[in-house]
Amino acid sequence: MTWLVWRQHRQQALAAGIALLAVALLLVPTGRQMRAVFDDLDLGACVAAGGRAEFVAPDDDCGTRSERFSGQFQGLALASLLLLFLPALAGLFWGAPLVAREVEHGTHRLVWTQGVSRLRWAMVKLGLVGGGLVLVATAYALLVGWWVAPLNDATGYRFTWLFFDQQGPVLVGYALFAFALGVLAGTLTGKVLPAMALTLGGFLATRVAVALFLRPRFLPQQRRAYPIISGSLAEPNQLAGDWVVSRGVYSAQGVKLTPGSGSQVLCDQSIQARCLAEYGAGAYNQDVFQPADRFWLFQGIEAALFVVLAVVLLAVAVRLVRRRIA
Amino acid sequence: MTPEGFGEPQGGAPINQSALEATGLGKRYRRAWALRDCALALPKGRIAALVGPNGAGKTTLLHLAVGLLAPTTGAIRVLGETPGRDPALLGRVGFVAQDTPLYGDFTGAEHLRLGAELNRRFDLALARDRLGRLGVPLDRKVDRLSGGQRAQVALAMALAKRPELLLLDEPVASLDPLARREFLQVLMGSVAEQGLTVVLSSHLLADLERVCDYLIVLQEARVQLLGPVDELLERHKLLVGPRRDPARVGGVAAVVRATHTDRQSTLLVRTDGPVRDPALAVEDVTLEDLVLAYLADPAAGALPGPTAAPAPDRLGAQA
Repeated sequence: MTWLVWRQHRQQALAAGIALLAVALLLVPTGRQMRAVFDDLDLGACVAAGGRAEFVAPDDDCGTRSERFSGQFQGLALASLLLLFLPALAGLFWGAPLVAREVEHGTHRLVWTQGVSRLRWAMVKLGLVGGGLVLVATAYALLVGWWVAPLNDATGYRFTWLFFDQQGPVLVGYALFAFALGVLAGTLTGKVLPAMALTLGGFLATRVAVALFLRPRFLPQQRRAYPIISGSLAEPNQLAGDWVVSRGVYSAQGVKLTPGSGSQVLCDQSIQARCLAEYGAGAYNQDVFQPADRFWLFQGIEAALFVVLAVVLLAVAVRLVRRRIA
Repeated sequence: MTPEGFGEPQGGAPINQSALEATGLGKRYRRAWALRDCALALPKGRIAALVGPNGAGKTTLLHLAVGLLAPTTGAIRVLGETPGRDPALLGRVGFVAQDTPLYGDFTGAEHLRLGAELNRRFDLALARDRLGRLGVPLDRKVDRLSGGQRAQVALAMALAKRPELLLLDEPVASLDPLARREFLQVLMGSVAEQGLTVVLSSHLLADLERVCDYLIVLQEARVQLLGPVDELLERHKLLVGPRRDPARVGGVAAVVRATHTDRQSTLLVRTDGPVRDPALAVEDVTLEDLVLAYLADPAAGALPGPTAAPAPDRLGAQA
């Protein structure tokens, strides 16, 4: 049985190895470059010194250096967002064909009528392929974790949307979930291409729903207020790495003055009068946020959520394999 | 219900002597019944032809027998066990599915290895020998083999399990006549060596006529005719003579098929004794004529009584 799984999936394993190597060829040189610039700007000292302070002065030198760093690597950081789609590939190319290709070619009638029960066939196959997937995803997560470290430290963005999704144990959860979704879709449709389409749609929908609606509320959100007229230590420290879910300007009476969820007003002493005229005395900024030290907890919660979803989907798929089809 | 049950186990034959046994077996897909009220008992050691038009339920019956499908009604027992419960049963049954599905990118040798890995009992040397003798290249991907060679690989895999029961679903349908003959020859040779029970399905009886000694005819999801070939042939006759009412001929139990010209009738009849009528010429039937006659008339198997279980009111009347 082990031999059969290896024989059937060795090409996929090879493809995954090549993909991992290709990603490494992109990430290793750029990662080294980022590290060099990070050291040149001496951003390490900033992180060590004021990195965890909640508020900083607006003309804080570290802020300036951080902006220089982000400015230089903005394009790279954006390009790296393409990597967000990598876990979906596990569903498309490992998960969807696993049962669907057998059914499409009729070979399930060959393999399910040998002296091995369908339950065992499914468990061995899912166990080995899923285990291989965990290895590949872990290797990838470690690689990206190394690559993204200077970006995390220099920008404080790692807890925000998309950057959170790009690193850490959640990657293993996403990959397993995509895989399980693919297996189930393939079992339901019995056809590879429709299964792939379903997998992609289902994966994106679930990811977006969790990221937008569940993740901000994994733990109760915190709030902090600070004046719109900036004093010496008045600006929230971006480098601290809090995840600002939303922010806005409120009047003294607590009425929200700015539209949307991303507005912040920080007025220099020189334009103090104009700001007061516009927003009224006593207006303040308010951030709704998840504090930076919850990053790993949130990674753990989200990874566990997707692993549990994956296990449930696989259990349904195994049940279908045992009961249905011929 | 009893279809034409010639030669069903006659008093005394223990039930576990059946290689394949069904009672009230039915399988319904979403809307339609693929198989209904199927009752049969195939004695061990037989080579049975499972014949019927496309869609009659042949594949469904075979899939039920190997546990790929679960019955909607009734029960099926294979070698005395219920398929789908104990995986060990699958090790005792060889199955070649329709269109002989194989992994296109596996070589013949890899298929044999698959069989050896997945079965407790698998005679690798036997399969290798057999394919070697037939000149099937084992190191070539099966995608690049001819249809006949692919069928031989599938058959070799099934036979290497040294099965007690071999089920073949339309094994020769896609083969050219030469490959057909070779396939059946190999099959028969192995059957003689291994002494197993075989069920071969086909929509054409001609494919199987020479090799089978037992017949199961399926029509419209029901068993229409069932029995050992020699008994079936013995109990059916072709009567040719002047036009007349066949019901009054002594020894005729039922007319399966009648064709008339102005002056002459040709009757294929089931007999219940010697036909003694000097006006009629009595001829033996061929198996093909017999099957065609039954297939031409879906109700024929119902003679002389209904195939369905006796209606309750009739039971009442008898009581």
